[in-house]
Amino acid sequence: MPLNASLIGRTYGQIDYTVERDAVNRFVDAIGEQDPIYRDPDAAKAAGYAEQVAPPTFITVIQIMTSGQVVLDQELGLDYSRVVHGEQAYRYERPLVVGDVITATPRLADIVTKRSNEFLTITSEVHDANGDLVLTTRSTLISRGTGGA
Amino acid sequence: MAAKVSFEDLKVGDEIPARSKVVRREEVKAYADASGDQNPIHQDEDFAKMVGLPGIIAHGMFTMAHLTSTLTSWLGDPAALTAVDVQFRALVEMDETIEAGGTVSELDPGTRTAKLDVWVRLERGGVTQYPIKSSTAEVRLG
Repeated sequence: MPLNASLIGRTYGQIDYTVERDAVNRFVDAIGEQDPIYRDPDAAKAAGYAEQVAPPTFITVIQIMTSGQVVLDQELGLDYSRVVHGEQAYRYERPLVVGDVITATPRLADIVTKRSNEFLTITSEVHDANGDLVLTTRSTLISRGTGGA
Repeated sequence: MAAKVSFEDLKVGDEIPARSKVVRREEVKAYADASGDQNPIHQDEDFAKMVGLPGIIAHGMFTMAHLTSTLTSWLGDPAALTAVDVQFRALVEMDETIEAGGTVSELDPGTRTAKLDVWVRLERGGVTQYPIKSSTAEVRLG
């Protein structure tokens, strides 16, 4: 069944998140990152950062919560077992560091049908405690076989 | 921090140093725990096969993390990476070797910005697959 395209433009609830050292350490270990600025606060400070730096894709840890709201929206009619991650884009104003207190507000930006698949685009802007933009994210999820054609 | 790469060093067509790693099941499990994405297709062999996959596959974001790590390792400073836009096009199975790399595609002296075509590839059965292809990154250099 096709997705509910009348939801295009819907904004979902704001997610609040604090970048904790333990979470960064677990992420850095999992991806096998060896650069000391992601592992050692002193190395990061020596490189001019306020604190240990979070890797560029660390923000994925809050996408479970941001995109998750869209995916679970009953009105959308998405069957998550049909979903694959098609595309992921980030635009950075600065790297995240340990201690950053951030907010992210997801938006269902678009639903496009291509052949039998539907492509959902979810965007969010991530701001820090000063209200400054840190990065923007854009995720495209593919709902396989729901496009009808 | 100053990046290791300077704008003047770059020419269109330059290749950045590619980096390879073997994808291990325990790393993918650790990634599921660290990222919060506990989809069983990344952990449970029987479940993955039941939904038509060849076996456990890595998260797309796990593969993307290897690409961005390769980029920031080359740059020497994560602040120089200003944008990345990837398309996931092929599966990554356990114990496969993924290689990330890229090529300089455009240079803008006004903003000291370079655009790169970036990719992650692997060899399977004598065929090159691209888990990440038709993808781009943008770097801004001091």
